[in-house]
Amino acid sequence: MLNILVCVKQIPDIDLVKMDPETGNLVRAGVPTLTNPLDLNALEAAVQVKERFGGEITLITMGPPMAESTLRECLAVGGDEAVLITGRPFGGADTLSTSYTIVKAAEMEGKFDLIFCGKESQDGATGQMASQLAERFDAAQISCCFSIEDVADGKIRATRTLEHGREIVEATLPCLVTVEKDNFYGRLPNLEAYLAAKTAPITTYTENNIDGLDPAKIGVPGSGTIVPKIYPPELPEPGQMIRTGSVKSDVGRLIELLTDKGSL
Amino acid sequence: MQKSDYKNMWVYIEHDGKTAAPVGLELCCELRRLCDVTGDKLYAVILGELPAAETDKVRDCGVDGIIQVRGTGYEYFNTDAYANAFTVLSRKYNPSAIFVGGTINGRDFAPRFAVQLDTGCTSDAMELEYDPATGDIQFIEPAVGGKIMAVITVPELRPQVGTIRPGTFKYAPAGRKAEIELIEEEIDFDPAAIRCRHLDFIPDEMDPELDIANADCIVCVGNGLKDSEHLERYRVLARLLGGKIGCTRPLYDRGILPYKLQIGQSGVMVKTKLYISFGVSGAVNHTAGVDADMFVAVDKNPDAQIFNYCDYGIVGDMDEVCDEMIAQLKARQG
Amino acid sequence: MANYNKITPEIAAQLRAVVGDKRFFEKDAVDPNYSHDEMPIYGKYMPDAAVDVESTEEVSEIMKICSANRIPVTCRGAGTGLVGGCVPLAGGLVLCTRRMNKILEYDMDNLVVRIQPGVLLKDLAADALSHGLMYPPDPGEKTATVGGNISTNAGGMRAVKYGVTRDYVLALKVVLADGRIIELGKSVCKTSSGYSLLHLMIGSEGTLGIITEMTMKLIPKPICDVSCLVPFRTVEECISFVPKIKLANLDPQSIEFMDADIVTSSAAFTGNPIFPERVRSEDVGASVLVTFVGADEDELDQKMIKLGQIAKEAKALDVLVVATSSNKKSAWAARSSFLTAIEADTKLIDEMDVVVPVDKIPAFLIYIRSLGDENGIRIRNFGHAGDGNLHIYCCSNDLEEEDFKRRVKIIMDKAYTKCAELEGQVSGEHSIGHAKMVYLRESVGEDVFALMGQIKAVFDPYYILNPGKVCDSSFSV
Repeated sequence: MLNILVCVKQIPDIDLVKMDPETGNLVRAGVPTLTNPLDLNALEAAVQVKERFGGEITLITMGPPMAESTLRECLAVGGDEAVLITGRPFGGADTLSTSYTIVKAAEMEGKFDLIFCGKESQDGATGQMASQLAERFDAAQISCCFSIEDVADGKIRATRTLEHGREIVEATLPCLVTVEKDNFYGRLPNLEAYLAAKTAPITTYTENNIDGLDPAKIGVPGSGTIVPKIYPPELPEPGQMIRTGSVKSDVGRLIELLTDKGSL
Repeated sequence: MQKSDYKNMWVYIEHDGKTAAPVGLELCCELRRLCDVTGDKLYAVILGELPAAETDKVRDCGVDGIIQVRGTGYEYFNTDAYANAFTVLSRKYNPSAIFVGGTINGRDFAPRFAVQLDTGCTSDAMELEYDPATGDIQFIEPAVGGKIMAVITVPELRPQVGTIRPGTFKYAPAGRKAEIELIEEEIDFDPAAIRCRHLDFIPDEMDPELDIANADCIVCVGNGLKDSEHLERYRVLARLLGGKIGCTRPLYDRGILPYKLQIGQSGVMVKTKLYISFGVSGAVNHTAGVDADMFVAVDKNPDAQIFNYCDYGIVGDMDEVCDEMIAQLKARQG
Repeated sequence: MANYNKITPEIAAQLRAVVGDKRFFEKDAVDPNYSHDEMPIYGKYMPDAAVDVESTEEVSEIMKICSANRIPVTCRGAGTGLVGGCVPLAGGLVLCTRRMNKILEYDMDNLVVRIQPGVLLKDLAADALSHGLMYPPDPGEKTATVGGNISTNAGGMRAVKYGVTRDYVLALKVVLADGRIIELGKSVCKTSSGYSLLHLMIGSEGTLGIITEMTMKLIPKPICDVSCLVPFRTVEECISFVPKIKLANLDPQSIEFMDADIVTSSAAFTGNPIFPERVRSEDVGASVLVTFVGADEDELDQKMIKLGQIAKEAKALDVLVVATSSNKKSAWAARSSFLTAIEADTKLIDEMDVVVPVDKIPAFLIYIRSLGDENGIRIRNFGHAGDGNLHIYCCSNDLEEEDFKRRVKIIMDKAYTKCAELEGQVSGEHSIGHAKMVYLRESVGEDVFALMGQIKAVFDPYYILNPGKVCDSSFSV
């Protein structure tokens, strides 16, 4: 039986995040959260593997206590166990320390044959977590997986999407996989699973109950990068607006201008 | 760790054994500029064999040296051997920074050797600045869907690792240095230890409509599009202009157009003579991917950010303006 | 057929004087889209001129000129209709309300909003939500104008719980054919005060007057909602489930029906297969999407549990839950794409919008499919199962247009007869326009049809308002 780990993240709906014009800080309070969409594709890939080859899926996330709702959402569509890593000291972590923390907590749950991750998170969008987790799990890695052909005899055969074609690869287990959405659209949970997920037990780890956790390697102290400054994008001066009163004459004027400038 | 012990900047030259990918050359050009500011030397790192003519292109970008790695394990890209090579080299030479093109494979292995070296990694910077007070590179990139710009630094650890998307920086070779140091390294990676092995490659069938990077004219459709039923008119306009259609990320997310037509930092970076956007709001992530001689924007929102990037703008219903353009262009062509 | 005059240069000058140069269009300057709605198969008719109006007073002045000169006037909103309702059959003037798109005033004590007719449905819906309120009618075409919704008495998905557009119109300001301005209804929720001309005006498709302002009823925004997708092996099993939902006292907000074909088209179109084609290793024949609203999650859970029980008894393949914001977005994007998905892969298309008693849905669908097979026409359908309102599309990619029209006419004639047999109605929410007039006449009978004509003559003695529509058979297409 395959032991499968799926890493998920709860993110704010970035369409609704605003920047405070006074302070220049991001206003996240009251912004609805969702499960990172690409993580749901990863979960779907895991569920398909479980259905085809047998296995058990453990979900893991790091975040504030309310990230529990993301775990329940994922339990409903095929997760068997769920792990929440939460605690103030983990806050402000970059990928270097987050990957460390997740791997330390995952080790508490045993050894995993397959680890599935979204390609990137919609909010942070570094796309680094998967590779860094793979390194820390000491696992092989198949990124941008288009389809999974076979999992057998300690190996996985899969197809990757590259810029100009598809690469077919074979990797040894343990292996970390990030997926493209093409064949891994998320499914709807069924009612029983949805209701069961509401009360399913969730294993919670804090800075106090993860074996061998080095406090220097978590949160801000463990991060390799910092964000000393954010600011609104500087906008260039607006271009010339064509306002002649009607669509017809606007377009006429535009075509004149483009012709004059040699663009047409 | 002493930051001052780490010197010089490296650029990974991604290649397929025949040609060097443009992104490596673009990075050399940009890093030449930065190294002139910081006083570091610029090295290009080549794993495996690259034809001499291609290596010459690298030389033309003003590098101070080339680190040529030979050995087993580099025939096809694989994370294990490639990450290992950089870890071994970095431990030996202590570079201040390593830049890797943000291709699918570049993004695959760079964060991995950053963990092996226990250092910070950034991705998708659009600008690189140097802070002499700290000696750190400022990686400046759009965040939260382009709503803000974030400055990211690696304040304590070295090397500073960054992946940069293809097309972010211009390919503008500074010219060849009189002396270019050649460092040759033999780093064998046991092919049997490669955990993810290449079996086969199936190239995409080339659809010219999907190859928009250098199209003469691009009609770009954004999230203002009501639904795919309204798309056809933009194809008609593109054809009339002898151009191609492109889109922004939401249209790809909505399943209306394929990923290869997504213009912007996380999609295709385009260089074109005439670019006309319809219903595009103008997030930095998108506009960063547009290099146009003439930039026209059409949107119903007079405050849309896209108008800050255009040469000419029209406020109006995108469909109406498109239809009118088609009508007038047809009339012109007779 | 009434005698109409052409817009002479003198008349054009008068019209131009009312709205100014920038909002008056003549001949080639008229938007060619004004010649059709979303069903170009019913023919294209260009007006001689068009005006974009901005106020009740302008409309009144325009009507005075047109009335005095016997110029036909066809009112148009967003042009999203499906029966040729806003198409100027007799030429003349198109009066477009798209610039009258202001939301004028909320009365938060009485939960009422006053708006102009050109406000788009999606804009009213969003704006109401931002005030903590909901505009309950939810027709599929969100880019329609609310004025158009009133003129067709549009229904939509939430009609099961909340009713249709008619139920949310409290008062209207209307310009009559001769330019007089009248007000119908009051901003109160009860009335027992004479003939309801208000309700006569609703659904009259611009044939009795031009609506220039409306007062609409709103309700507090529901606190939470959830949807369940219930897939079945067959259409019959699926439809027979619908009355059971109602009888179980679950008070759903909507019950939407979709068969396997439409789910496949929609998935191909949106690129997101959110509605499964197979469940528990069985092919899905048809599904219903049931939406509940409630005060809290527990209430919704209880409703879903009960739904689960009756679904099991009804041999449903499963009950799937649409609860997360992403899934809701995808599910409703898919549901909203049904018509456009059909249009996207079809060259020739015609449609019907019948309503039959809910228990007659399978019989009607089986019949229409057999008609399609007999006549070589592809049939696609979806609809509001909760109220028996079916959208049926006749599609072809291979036939010549004339041949297609001939075959579709055979199907339509028989289908509307069948609909009448089943005690159904010609149109649930798309209305009559000119495309469905013969079927309306057959359906209601000569006495009623003649009464409609007499009412039309009272409001519009010269037949200048939207000629050839609903009951005006004097104008033959």
